Amino acid sequence: MEISTFVNVMRDSAGIPFYPVVFQGLYVLTWALHAAFVLLALGSMGLSLYGSTQQKSSPYWKILTPHLIMTGKISISILIVLGVAPLLFTQVIYDSGWYVANTLSGAWVFIFIYALVIGYMMYYWYQSANKKGSSSSTLIGIISFGILIFCGVLMHNFAVEAISPTKWMEWYAPNGVIDNAGWNMHLDLIRLGFMVSLMIPVTGIFMQNYTQFLSTRKDFEPKYLEFVKSLGTKLAIFGLLISAVLFALWMQKESLLLHPLSLATVASVVLLLLLAIGNKNSYVTTGILVVVALLISSVRELIRYKIMSGVGYDLYGYPMNLEWETIIMFLLTFVVLGFTGIAFILTMAWKVGKTEGVYTATEGSAVSRLANASLVLFILWIVVYFGWGMVALFKNTL
Amino acid sequence: MDLLGFYPLFYVPEIGSAWLMGLTGAIHIMASHTSVGAAILFAFLAHKAQKENRTDLYDYMKRYGMFLLIFSYVIGSITGPGIWYTATAASPRGISALIHNFVWVWATEWVFFVYEVIGVFALIYFMDKVDRKTHLKLTYTFALASVGTLALIIGIISFMMWPGTDAYYATGSASDAFFGTNTFPHMFLRIGFMIMMSGIIGMIISSAMHKENKELSEELTQKMGWVSLLGGFVTVFFFMWYINTLPANAQALLEMAKDSIIMNRIILAILFSLYFFVAIIKPQWINRTIAITMMFVIGIVGVWPGEKLRETMRKPWVAGQYMYSNQIIGRDVPGKEIKSEVELIAAKGLLTVNPWIPDRLRTITPENKLEVGKLLTRIACSNCHSLEKDGLYRPLIKLAGPMGEEGIREYMKNVIGTGSSPYMPKIALPDEEYDAIAAYIASQAK
Repeated sequence: MEISTFVNVMRDSAGIPFYPVVFQGLYVLTWALHAAFVLLALGSMGLSLYGSTQQKSSPYWKILTPHLIMTGKISISILIVLGVAPLLFTQVIYDSGWYVANTLSGAWVFIFIYALVIGYMMYYWYQSANKKGSSSSTLIGIISFGILIFCGVLMHNFAVEAISPTKWMEWYAPNGVIDNAGWNMHLDLIRLGFMVSLMIPVTGIFMQNYTQFLSTRKDFEPKYLEFVKSLGTKLAIFGLLISAVLFALWMQKESLLLHPLSLATVASVVLLLLLAIGNKNSYVTTGILVVVALLISSVRELIRYKIMSGVGYDLYGYPMNLEWETIIMFLLTFVVLGFTGIAFILTMAWKVGKTEGVYTATEGSAVSRLANASLVLFILWIVVYFGWGMVALFKNTL
Repeated sequence: MDLLGFYPLFYVPEIGSAWLMGLTGAIHIMASHTSVGAAILFAFLAHKAQKENRTDLYDYMKRYGMFLLIFSYVIGSITGPGIWYTATAASPRGISALIHNFVWVWATEWVFFVYEVIGVFALIYFMDKVDRKTHLKLTYTFALASVGTLALIIGIISFMMWPGTDAYYATGSASDAFFGTNTFPHMFLRIGFMIMMSGIIGMIISSAMHKENKELSEELTQKMGWVSLLGGFVTVFFFMWYINTLPANAQALLEMAKDSIIMNRIILAILFSLYFFVAIIKPQWINRTIAITMMFVIGIVGVWPGEKLRETMRKPWVAGQYMYSNQIIGRDVPGKEIKSEVELIAAKGLLTVNPWIPDRLRTITPENKLEVGKLLTRIACSNCHSLEKDGLYRPLIKLAGPMGEEGIREYMKNVIGTGSSPYMPKIALPDEEYDAIAAYIASQAK
């Protein structure tokens, strides 16, 4: 059987509801967002484990450790919710790869879900134990960290399997004997190592942001902030160097070392390194970090596209059934309601973080106006939803 | 070559892969429904606290919120995509059908999820850090976002039962698929249950406050009793409407189990009404152990059988009444240019059209007949049946084995092969494939 027939026949009979390139773009964007929080969660958690062993003797670690734990806790929630989007878009355009990987590793899929539940619940336990000063908090944290890293490895396994179409049949039916048990596990250690290594510079740059943000607060000692800043800078530099080496090895393995996208990534990483060393304005550094994240996400997509089109997968020829009503709903919700709503919470969070005591949003302030706008938009959304639903229902039933 | 878009088969012995999805789904329902119900409850409590200057209510909301973070935003947030993941492994073409019809609806829901997840941390951790008025606005938007997630998922899960009208088949439109006759009753039924769950969980929190603040604890337990009672009433009311919007195959299945379902629901309604009345009249009697026990009772005796019933009633379909549970497209959907696969399979056989059959098994020989039979039985039946002799769910060997090889073959050919069973997919196959299946099942029954 021709492999091109094989990979194309699994495309969904319903077709896709919009242009494939749009899903591809959304995938790249949302994966980068998801990955940023994965790396921040793992990095801040990993560093907090070290902090939990130092906090008794060091007053600075005593302040920093719970902040790192809290950062990890919120980041895990955000990475989970942000992860839903790339999961969705990959299934639309690369359904064959994703579903094959999930069925080949069905047992791991199930384990992944419950490992994540246990790992994250243990993280709450770790936070609570650390707050109470329990001596076992580090151990609880290490177990939780180990489980969450294991979840990352499983996710990596699904991603590797999804882009290995030439091996699918061999993995499903080695020597012609079908194995339905779903225990397939296939790793690409260089790629995995590179991805995991990124948690170091991401956490370093986060710490630079942390100090810049808190520098206006009088209740944080300048010496403490200097300590965190210096640690963050060291982590950023050290981490970027490790990641750069692993990236080069990965690109070499994929024969993409001199591809314009790899070169652009390397150039951005060098710029990021210079900015992290200078540490004049960490918000600018973060902006470049976002660019690097988007480039890495694009490199991943390039590799997948190359492999899949190499075996004859016709991504841009995926049959289309344009679906205007729901895409308009998504775009309006995403751009108008989503941006306003998130801007409201983030602006409020910024103001709260900058204020000692209670922050009051005065009439006419940005927070107050964004809160009112969000409320109106949510109400409007619900009204439109019911209106639309009733029109659709009456049209089809009366 | 005539190939169809099947995927590899993931099979879990004894329970079947579909039940992994059921388990994850039942856990998720408890957590997610509590989340939406609690968001509505928070809006009510924050409004009351602001209007009557009841600062003590913020303390309760904070405790409730901390519980919610773990219950709904750890367990619920993970089991949500978890249903998706396990469904992908168990029913890849079923979930693919939903994704390809509703990707933009899901993407819209994702916007609400992001707001909810960031919002819940702000709502809980900024309670003492932001002015009350702004916090109240956050609470209102949080409640609306939570209801929005329900509003968006409900059309998809209703479509899993059926599109509600024939319009979707002609137009292929996601809007026609989403807003079926089943959608709104289903939505209000779940809103009722969500409100009830928020009260049931609320009693765990309020009863735990008894030692520190007896008066507040009892007042809140009483309030949660009323909230639960209201939610319970809404649930029962809309359940009756919901039942009347089900398709004929679901009605037929429901009819078969009606008496036991009604009995189960009546017992549950009486038990929980009593519980809620005790909370209202004698709130001091409700302690944390009772409140936690009742949460498990509603999960194990209420949600699990309810979801099992909903899954069963969908049979033989898993999506839009065009995708069979065994991953075969069972009808045309002209609006999407989808063609039924039943006829091609009948003519060519599963061994020819399924791309995942190893070459050595594509032709049946006396040597491989039982092995092929086992494989075909897994492909055709394992989504709904355990295939082991003592398997847990609808064990096929026990059900079909006593018919004997000849009986199985005839039953498959004349009943299942003609689509005469209201709850089983039409599995029309060439004779040699029926033979292999019958030989395998009969051999296992010995």
